[in-house]
Amino acid sequence: MAGTPFRGRRYVVLLLLLGGFGVVLFRLVNLQVLQAAELTVKADRQHQKTVSLEGARGTIVDRHGKTLAMNVDVPSVFGIPTALDSPAKTARHLSPVLHVRSDELERKLRQDRSFVWLARKLDPEQGRRLEQMPLEGIGVVMEGRRFYPKGPLLSHVLGFAGMDGEGLEGLERRYESLLHGEKRVTVLQRDALGRTIFPKGLAEQSPSPGRSLVLTIDEVVQYIAERELEDAVARTRAKAGTVIVMEPETGAVLALAVSPRFDPNAVASLAADQWRNRALTDAYEPGSTMKAIVAAAALEERVMKPSTMVFGEYGQMTVAGTVIHDHDKLGWMTFAQVIQKSSNIGAAKTGMALGEQRLYRYLQAFGFGQRTDVDLPGEAGGLLKQPRDWGRRSLASISMGQEIGVTPIQMVAAIGAIANGGALMKPYLVSEVRDAHGQLLKQIKPEVKRRVVSPDTARTVTSILEGVVTGGTGTKAAIPGFRVAGKTGTAQKIDPRTGAYSSTQFVGSFVGFVPADHPRLAMIVVIDEPQGEAWGGVVAAPVFRRVGEQVLNHLGVPSSEPVKLVMASERG
Amino acid sequence: MKLLMTVLGLSLVFVFVWERVDMVRLGYQIERLKQERTLLERERDELQVKLSALSAPDRIAKIASEQLGMSLPQQGQVIMVRSGPAIPVPPPADPIEVRVAKNQLSGGLR
Repeated sequence: MAGTPFRGRRYVVLLLLLGGFGVVLFRLVNLQVLQAAELTVKADRQHQKTVSLEGARGTIVDRHGKTLAMNVDVPSVFGIPTALDSPAKTARHLSPVLHVRSDELERKLRQDRSFVWLARKLDPEQGRRLEQMPLEGIGVVMEGRRFYPKGPLLSHVLGFAGMDGEGLEGLERRYESLLHGEKRVTVLQRDALGRTIFPKGLAEQSPSPGRSLVLTIDEVVQYIAERELEDAVARTRAKAGTVIVMEPETGAVLALAVSPRFDPNAVASLAADQWRNRALTDAYEPGSTMKAIVAAAALEERVMKPSTMVFGEYGQMTVAGTVIHDHDKLGWMTFAQVIQKSSNIGAAKTGMALGEQRLYRYLQAFGFGQRTDVDLPGEAGGLLKQPRDWGRRSLASISMGQEIGVTPIQMVAAIGAIANGGALMKPYLVSEVRDAHGQLLKQIKPEVKRRVVSPDTARTVTSILEGVVTGGTGTKAAIPGFRVAGKTGTAQKIDPRTGAYSSTQFVGSFVGFVPADHPRLAMIVVIDEPQGEAWGGVVAAPVFRRVGEQVLNHLGVPSSEPVKLVMASERG
Repeated sequence: MKLLMTVLGLSLVFVFVWERVDMVRLGYQIERLKQERTLLERERDELQVKLSALSAPDRIAKIASEQLGMSLPQQGQVIMVRSGPAIPVPPPADPIEVRVAKNQLSGGLR
């Protein structure tokens, strides 16, 4: 019987062991089978990190590869209010680095939230200072910030991107789908210290960056145009101004300047009025520059020859019960002189000789009343009424550039057609699309919209327009050593209060091209509401000369006309 | 034979463990290099922006005129000439008079 207690103890041990294993087994089944799904999720949450990654926005460069817009990763600072001991102290520390008021930061940090932005897209320098002051409950993430390193240069064309990197204006908006980087959510593995190990699946790549744009713009030409325009607007105390420089052969825009300028790096403080691209959103009555187009139509239709004699009615003519005036009491003159002296009566008679339908057809062919389809957002089509809506005076008015609304880009494209032997080109700003490594993805070719007049007519109009600059209203546009063809325009603006033509508000403009024998540049200068003398020949023609001269130099165009060199010393 | 099998089995286990450990080690290395690349790329981008801002024509023109006393050439001071075969130029009516400072002409032109 000695073995009984021993055997009894053996059973106890066995029972205990079985019981123990049973508990373990129960726990095992509980963890691994019953709670498996829930716990897997929990575990994954601890050693996996889901991050939203975005490829960098594409850069924008000029035709020579000069950077005009690009993205740089900069620090954004967030707070975790629930993890903070002393919001007031943290706010005091951060305030001088973030340039945000201490009480403002404290207010944010006292919110009952687990995440709050404190300052976004700071300068890289601020980021470096933050790294040196580790603070509990404060985190830094890198975000792409758009930089426009040239400041206000080309601002109206480039536009700008918003806080989340989406294009809001200008090329940034027009080419948003190409520029923006790929957005992707990636799962990263991390260790006990929170360091990233590597992505699940080794094939994981970082999201691809956006495509880059190469513009037709030449940074230097743009600068010259902007500087001369700013000067002219300041000198004439004008409200605004526009200069567009285009290659007539291709339609490539070399410069598009709008005054006043703005800095796309600091758009938050600006009103929409300041970033509107007036060169294509604002239609104006062109006034006499339209006579160049009417002349082309009249010559093509053979209703006029340069030598055709036109009577100037000594400066006054009644049309449909209203009187049309000329600034000079002109008598008989040739058709060429009508354009060179910018006679309203001569232009009205030319329009009447053409008739409503033919004039309308040519204005349409030259691209008025419709968008040029230049690759920028917000373009207006201008105003060209159908002949059935024309009044009795309309034919005469439109021939001298009234009752018609055009945009500067339409007008420069139209004069470009005359410079280009009668072929109307589509103006464009982006010449190439490249990937982030500079590989060419797409090349944009010049596009002929249509032939508007014959090469012969274009040549004849050119020689008439040369006369405007050598001995007409546009002499201030003359560039020594080059043959310049162009036309001045001075239009009264319509006073929005009275609905009648204002006697104080004008638009002075000059549109032309150079060298006339082999045009390299077509250019328009529009000065809106200059104070004092407002004639296009006085306010706009000199801008044409100054821009033209410098740009021809920059492009290395040899002069076509002999110039006589006179030694300074010989002049005493 | 039994020993050989045991050694083989053990070395297989070691190879497996070593591989796993090395993978983690390489993972850290890849991650570190990636971070380094990101930092260098960021620095490159910052320098690129700085370069573009410093070479802005606005700034260059300002320095040229204000600090270096340079000015734009006056009308006619720059004359572009064609090199290569001469292109016939129609006989001029009246050449335009342009004044040129004496020291800007080389001996050949005089």
